[in-house]
Amino acid sequence: MAIIAASGVEKIFRQPKRQAGLGGAIRGLFSREFTEVRAVDGISFAIEPGEAVGYLGPNGAGKSTMIKMMTGILVPSSGTVEVLGREPHTNRLTNAAEIGVVFGQRSQLWWDLPVRDSFDLNRHIYDVPAPRFAENLARLTAMLDMEGYVDRPVRQLSLGQRMRAEIAMALLHDPKILFLDEPTIGLDVVAKDTVRKFLAEVNRDRGTTIILTTHDLVDIEQICPRLIMVDDGKLLFDGELKHLRQTLGSRRRLKLEFGTDPGPITLQTAALVTDEGLAKHFLLENEQTSILDVLTELGSGHDLTDIKLEEPNIEEVIRTFYQNKPALAGARP
Amino acid sequence: MRAAAYPAFALTAFQSRLVYRNQVWASAFGDLVSIFARIAIWTAAFAGATQVDGITLPEMVTYSVLAWPLLYWDFSRVLYDVGGAVQTGDVAVFLLKPIHYPSYLLSTHFGHFAFECVTIVVPVALIVGFTVGLLPPASLFHGLMFFAYWAVSWLTLFALACLCGLLAFWLLTAFSLEWFLMAIMSLFSGAVVPLWFLPAPLAALFGYLPFAWVSYYPSAVYLGKLDPAATWLHLGIGLVWLGLLSAATLALWAKARTRLVVQGG
Repeated sequence: MAIIAASGVEKIFRQPKRQAGLGGAIRGLFSREFTEVRAVDGISFAIEPGEAVGYLGPNGAGKSTMIKMMTGILVPSSGTVEVLGREPHTNRLTNAAEIGVVFGQRSQLWWDLPVRDSFDLNRHIYDVPAPRFAENLARLTAMLDMEGYVDRPVRQLSLGQRMRAEIAMALLHDPKILFLDEPTIGLDVVAKDTVRKFLAEVNRDRGTTIILTTHDLVDIEQICPRLIMVDDGKLLFDGELKHLRQTLGSRRRLKLEFGTDPGPITLQTAALVTDEGLAKHFLLENEQTSILDVLTELGSGHDLTDIKLEEPNIEEVIRTFYQNKPALAGARP
Repeated sequence: MRAAAYPAFALTAFQSRLVYRNQVWASAFGDLVSIFARIAIWTAAFAGATQVDGITLPEMVTYSVLAWPLLYWDFSRVLYDVGGAVQTGDVAVFLLKPIHYPSYLLSTHFGHFAFECVTIVVPVALIVGFTVGLLPPASLFHGLMFFAYWAVSWLTLFALACLCGLLAFWLLTAFSLEWFLMAIMSLFSGAVVPLWFLPAPLAALFGYLPFAWVSYYPSAVYLGKLDPAATWLHLGIGLVWLGLLSAATLALWAKARTRLVVQGG
């Protein structure tokens, strides 16, 4: 049975229209016009226990809104969300006890107190039995390399240290689902790497279901086998990352370098993208095409000095995806 | 509901205040100055008279000192807490946890209040007691009842501050509400001018509004201005008001939850 099921979920925000200038502000006090913003528009998906799902989309795509509906903070305008078989917003307290949430841009730690005190407060909030709490604390402290600073006040921590503490805090009560809203935002490369490895491990070893929103594609590549892509509140893609790569990302780049300019070259096996004279860039449209095929077609007699074949990176795949969005909107696997 | 979490919130709030020790000195000094200013004003107003409308100067001095822990505890902290959490969207953090937000607020602010009592109210009261002199309670009964009234007073003001703070869900700012509440409390609670010095119709009206239970009635009971029967009766009325305000706070909270717009992403 699905641990999270969304069906035809919509969220419409009513925002007061602001008119420019002082006159507009005064008029706004008396009569208000509202514009409707459709942040989430008819989204459906189902997530099984133990999955790690990346929820990806540009700014304002409705990612955080969806997370907030799954955690019971926001109420859907229409459609249904079920988490662990319950409607989150009507069962907020029961739901909250079984999930863990990390907001990259909001701290849940007590600013003035040592990290350990915040953790201990969470022990009371979630009613974690003392032995299990001690065990979890020891394990998380070691895994996230926090020994050096659990006794320091939160305000003295670096962002990377704080984020690790936030993630540890969300896991102290052994939640069944961990929601992360942009957990690596603002972190340096090393801190990002620690967080990613840790999350992948939690998902693999503890079977914790992970839902993660991000802008950073590497997060998804390293943590989430499954990807849900949204834009403008609509679902664009839901499937395995490698599937996305296969359907859209098979266009490998081939660069041929010559000692002397061979003039224009047209090939059947590869499409010319840019011609710099001595260096020519091609796209291989077909997954099956090998370098040998290209070289056979090219034939001898050219002063070829170097060949470079590049696999498409995920950023490029996604960029292509968003650029071709209208054509691909229906292409859900 | 995890009941053990709430005492823990109070303790955490208390501990977090220990970090800012300088704030204690600044608050204590500010409170001393304002208490002595009020004493000076009443001394001048009595202009050598032993009694005004049956009230002696020592009674009036004690009244204005009592009004201070009753009304001038830092209740705007509640407003800012709720208003700020709404404005920055941090209220989401509390909604993600299996806790009841109004109860969280209650325990946290009780922690703050306890801290202020220990570090500011008691020392300042001792200083004023030894320098200017304070009257003891009118009787043991009145002294004990004062503490019951104090509890009602604190909870009433907390509920009022909570109500105003929760209005920020609709108005999206708590700052104007703080001024509004402060102004109403200064006049209606009798903290600045006791109800017995007000014109009779006004005093009668204010005497039935919940604000009077924040400052006027507790002080009047302490000074023995209410006989035992009236003391019990007014405690009952105060509790009814408290019940109504608490119900209003909880209802507004329930409504706010569904209307909630989490701002800032």
